[in-house]
Amino acid sequence: MEMLIKVLHNYYYMAAILLFVIGMHTMLTHSNLIKKVIAMNIMDTSVFLLFVAVGYTYGGQAPIVQQGKEVIYINPLPSSLMLTGIVVAISITAYALSLIVKIYRYYGTVDYDEICLIRSQE
Amino acid sequence: MGLAQHFPALIIAILLGIAFLSPILYRWARKTSAPALITALSLSLVMGIVLLIQVHQGGTFYYHMGGWPPPFGVEFKVDFLRVYMLLVVLAVSLWIMVYALKDLEHELKTEMLGWYYSLYALLVGSMAGIALTNDLFNLFVLMEICAISACAIISIKEDRACLEASFKYLILSAMGTGCFLLGVAMLYMVTGQFNYDLVNEALPAAVEQYPNNMFAASSLFIVAFGTKAALFPLHVWLPDAHASAPSPSSAMLSGVVIKIYAFALFIMFYQLFPRPLLDSIPLNEIVLWLSTAGIMFGSIFAMVQVDLKKMLAYSSIGQIGYVFLGIGLDDTIALTGGFYHLLVHALMKSMLFMVAGVIIYSTGIRQIKQLAGVGQVLPLTMIAFTVGAASMIGIPGTGGLISKWYLALGALEVGRPFFVVIILASSLLNAVYYMPIIVNAFMHQETFEHEAKPVPRQMLVTLVIGVLAVIFFGVAPGLTLTLLENAIALFF
Repeated sequence: MEMLIKVLHNYYYMAAILLFVIGMHTMLTHSNLIKKVIAMNIMDTSVFLLFVAVGYTYGGQAPIVQQGKEVIYINPLPSSLMLTGIVVAISITAYALSLIVKIYRYYGTVDYDEICLIRSQE
Repeated sequence: MGLAQHFPALIIAILLGIAFLSPILYRWARKTSAPALITALSLSLVMGIVLLIQVHQGGTFYYHMGGWPPPFGVEFKVDFLRVYMLLVVLAVSLWIMVYALKDLEHELKTEMLGWYYSLYALLVGSMAGIALTNDLFNLFVLMEICAISACAIISIKEDRACLEASFKYLILSAMGTGCFLLGVAMLYMVTGQFNYDLVNEALPAAVEQYPNNMFAASSLFIVAFGTKAALFPLHVWLPDAHASAPSPSSAMLSGVVIKIYAFALFIMFYQLFPRPLLDSIPLNEIVLWLSTAGIMFGSIFAMVQVDLKKMLAYSSIGQIGYVFLGIGLDDTIALTGGFYHLLVHALMKSMLFMVAGVIIYSTGIRQIKQLAGVGQVLPLTMIAFTVGAASMIGIPGTGGLISKWYLALGALEVGRPFFVVIILASSLLNAVYYMPIIVNAFMHQETFEHEAKPVPRQMLVTLVIGVLAVIFFGVAPGLTLTLLENAIALFF
């Protein structure tokens, strides 16, 4: 019971890990290349969620100093770092999609199994 | 000190700067773009040597990016091992680039060359950063730069095999960095720091409260760096990627890129995780058995290949296993051997890929079977191949022997003679697949029936430099070994 309450209290961590596993599983098992790229994004986003959740405090405010007020601030560091992470994820996605375009031109399909089939017939 | 104290940042700044300039120079002043890249690489190599002298005189020092001290800013650490790694990366990549200038002209479309220089400088710059950085998030960003540029120097050739191989590489390395970032998140949750030293200080207290976080982080790190460095069960992307890439890219990827991740894993284990915690989890044991499997299976897969470059790629899986074997054995002597092998393998595997490149350039042959008698038309090239292969096998007088010797001594020191047997058996397996090529190339009676173009002198000179380097590190290993012993002593 105590364990269950712990889990419920930290549901956002659970969500992040669940998304991570979904992303990783799809990325490694699906044969459609576009789906692989989407899954890669889900995986990256889950880590961003985890990071941002780590930095959040209940009832916290954006970390802008206001004169004469004592307020709780959220930790800005993970959020700002995740901006960099998002940029990196976007560039990888863009590169992967451009590769898929080229692969489609050569093979006429975006399905990995079909590509393997075409290659084995050569 | 003056300017010299900014060298850690300047090395990376120069390389990233030239990455930005290369396409522009290639577009508007085509003649200057290649010399500019070579100058930038040589300049950063000189700076690396200055850093080595500084460390030798003044000991380990830190560089704070932008003057911000650790909890706020990114920190670079300069110690013996990092400088050693930096010098290996810079020297080998300069050497490969000199070769690549000629080889690329026939492997790539002319208008792509400027972009290739750009990607190459990005790759080298990010690896220099990985060698020096002391910050987890900075490491993540550099790893992503390294991953994208490493994939891009494969796919720039734009034939079907390259595109498919680089897509596979990209997906698996994205999985690797995803795992790494999740591991970093696990550590950040409990320590609130990104700096290696600060995480190291905060971990013992944090682990008492949250023991599972470090288990998760360490296993995620093994998967992350294992995927990127082609540790055995995670190696599936390597053969296609390294075999189909243009030869200079293969030399770079097999020679240097996979090594830098093995080094990063070492830093994670020995600098990030506190020693007592590391001893409480059998991390080294996991790496040890995976590397052993890699050493054996890499060699066995290499034996059945018909394509020369694919054989060399599978051989890389076996050879990177030696570096991980050093980490797995967890012993100063074995680690010295492992890191010495890192240097020697960077030299010999790059040289072997260059030889394959020269053979493809001159005759267009990729199949091992057709190589019979190639020694008659390309004698110097095949002598370079022989020296490289001898070093792979570990014949006295070549660098390969020294590293295997030290690894075996280390295995005996920790009382595990089984791994000496593994090292011997794998040397034997290496001989099984390298020897027939050499014998066939030189002893074949009939004349070589394929046409052979003359090879540019620049390419042959780089091969000769490689031969001399491999023999030098086999005959006079003293200085490097002393450096490595000092470097590794700092981690124990």
